[in-house]
Amino acid sequence: MHTRSATLLAVALSLLSSPAPASAQGARAALVKQSDIIFIGTVTQIGAVAVPEVPASDRTIVVRVDQLLEKPPAIALSTGDSVTVQTARSGSLKPGTQATFYTTGWIFGRGVAVREVGHELGHSPVVAADQQEAVARARLDVNDADLRAHILKAAMVVAGRVEQVRPAELAAAPGRPKRITEHDADWQEAIIQVEDGLKGARAGEQVVVRFPGSHDVAWVGTPRFAVGQEGTFLLHKDSTTGSPTTMFAGRSVPAYTALHKLDVLPKQDAPRIRDLIRKP
Amino acid sequence: MWTSVIAVAVALCAACQGSEQVPPPPAKPPGVRVVDLIPVSLSGETWQDAEPFLTLYASNPKLMAASAFTPNPGGSASATAPIFVSDDGGDSWTLRNTLPSESMTADITHAVGSNPPVLYAGIIKVPDFRLNDLKATDFLSPATMTLQASRADIDQPFVRATAVSNADRVYVGLNDFDAPDGRTATVDVSLDGGATYAARRIETRTTVGQNGPSVRPAVAQDHTVYVAYFGWRANTGSNVTSDVVVVRDDSGATGATPFRRLVDPSDHLPGRLVATHVTIPWSNAPTLGQERIGSTLAIAVDPLHSDTVYLAWADRAGTGDIYTVHVRRSTDRGATWSGDLRTLTNATDASLAVSTNGTVGLLYQQVTGAGDASRWVTRLEQSRDGFATHQDVVLATVPATTPAFQFLPYIGDYNCLLTRGNQFLGIFSANNMPDSANFPQGVVYQRRVDFATHRLLDGSGASVAVSIDPFFFSVPVLP
Repeated sequence: MHTRSATLLAVALSLLSSPAPASAQGARAALVKQSDIIFIGTVTQIGAVAVPEVPASDRTIVVRVDQLLEKPPAIALSTGDSVTVQTARSGSLKPGTQATFYTTGWIFGRGVAVREVGHELGHSPVVAADQQEAVARARLDVNDADLRAHILKAAMVVAGRVEQVRPAELAAAPGRPKRITEHDADWQEAIIQVEDGLKGARAGEQVVVRFPGSHDVAWVGTPRFAVGQEGTFLLHKDSTTGSPTTMFAGRSVPAYTALHKLDVLPKQDAPRIRDLIRKP
Repeated sequence: MWTSVIAVAVALCAACQGSEQVPPPPAKPPGVRVVDLIPVSLSGETWQDAEPFLTLYASNPKLMAASAFTPNPGGSASATAPIFVSDDGGDSWTLRNTLPSESMTADITHAVGSNPPVLYAGIIKVPDFRLNDLKATDFLSPATMTLQASRADIDQPFVRATAVSNADRVYVGLNDFDAPDGRTATVDVSLDGGATYAARRIETRTTVGQNGPSVRPAVAQDHTVYVAYFGWRANTGSNVTSDVVVVRDDSGATGATPFRRLVDPSDHLPGRLVATHVTIPWSNAPTLGQERIGSTLAIAVDPLHSDTVYLAWADRAGTGDIYTVHVRRSTDRGATWSGDLRTLTNATDASLAVSTNGTVGLLYQQVTGAGDASRWVTRLEQSRDGFATHQDVVLATVPATTPAFQFLPYIGDYNCLLTRGNQFLGIFSANNMPDSANFPQGVVYQRRVDFATHRLLDGSGASVAVSIDPFFFSVPVLP
């Protein structure tokens, strides 16, 4: 976390009046991007902690949750709970202050302790519905920005259908036998029939995409392909397996990968992606 | 001690909000504890928290660290991965994101330094899968652990450490694919508290191109270091023909050519061949109760009498089994070995520890029954007489077919058993359904549960799907 920039963002946000201009929404999006627990809360104690397993310091405060705006499902946190917050800088908040807290998880025990990414001071009382909408809009902006960054990095973006899946035949590195390890990716190849070329491809082409067939923990969350699967695929030139080409229809062709969860999206996302590609 | 455990359980139950009726945990024999590590603030957790590991201090029974394939609750974009810590002897645990790996690690083991709360860890880092040797001067600190060494092409780092007068010695057994001549079994040795490491090759024979993934050190108080590894000699794809080999060093691997003290009489090469040409099924797919198999190996030395060392491994015995654990013992510093003291059919995740009174503990997980009725049974056996007789404690007996695996390993390629004073302490992973019948010795949950309806509950009281959780346990050593 970049404490100084987060503080500046928080200050910028706190000076803005509602409705927030685009620059405020941009600053909010920057906070949202770095946060996984976001809530409106009221400071109840400073230099204190809500649970004994967290060390108190001049940067820790206790905040009562007034409304949760975002949290991962695993975390048990509800309105009315007290959260220990390690602030970005000491003395920045006083008891009774209400704010929207942008945070990341820190310590999970009998309670939740979080690290502040930044905060957005609220008017009293904070208009929760407006703030929820603003954070949700910021999250959409963040998601679009992340997706656009992936699109820009992709060599090819296509909407299509998986016609075939086959084991990849990778040449071993010279002088080195194939390794046997539980982390082995067990590379497979999906042959995708392009129905709509959004970037770097045309309808009617076939492309070869490598993906791990392994169930090993090292590859958990990596997209897999199955025959008949349809989708919008962000494809990257294979720089992972050490063998950038493959044989298809009797000739050597580039091999691609789609290893990030954003690389495999529903087919109906194609128009949204086309819009993001066109976006200046 | 047990009073405090009950007090914690009562306090946790009292802290739970909602209307569910939570009966007290079932009655337990005195001294046995089983504790689910997932804290109440992560009651909605449904991940497959497999491959658990445990570390504890001899000098401070309150402090412990544990790990599993538990992700940062913040999600896959998180820059750090968590460990569990306890400062009350294992009664309660908190999760702290202190490992420099994106969300989770791809392997992790750890060991403590001589002075609490120093902690050493060896991880396979996500996303580049490099070995990272880490150190924390205070593992209770929320600060990210410090990187001490890093390199690529490593599998299964297995960390042990020992205290010396001026600096900790750290031993990291690992499979190093960059080792020459396919002799990949390696121990990274640090004699200066992890500041520098030297890769020590321990395989002296021709391999099939590599050794097996498991390379396991064990250290006695007199600084004798044993290391067990698999000498892979042939490979058919689904089966590996392997020797089970033990090397020894009598001075903490401080010399120029360590691990050469045990020579096999058959070929006069370093590395005692405890078993030769065993058949090990290599299956990186759900094979035994949804678990993969292929590299179960454990070794433990009597901490006060380093002549005595126990070894466990798994292979296919060929009598209708899937995977069979064998346990053997040497009482002459590894020069000669017993036959099988225990053979455990369809078992894996064997871990060994020897108490200071000479009692050996054997933790393992075994599939019993068949089909939908099959169960993972986690047992701790103890013996004072080389397993001529033993005491058997069932820590858990849970369905083997649920929950469905999310990835492999399902419960772990290893678990962990340690000993301190008059206790065996360990950790295993298992189906977390709060059913008293599944935990015959009783169990304490930190997360919200309803024993009456066998339900896990999230923060709002809604039902949570059953998953795999890590469970800490302690069992009194046989007197």
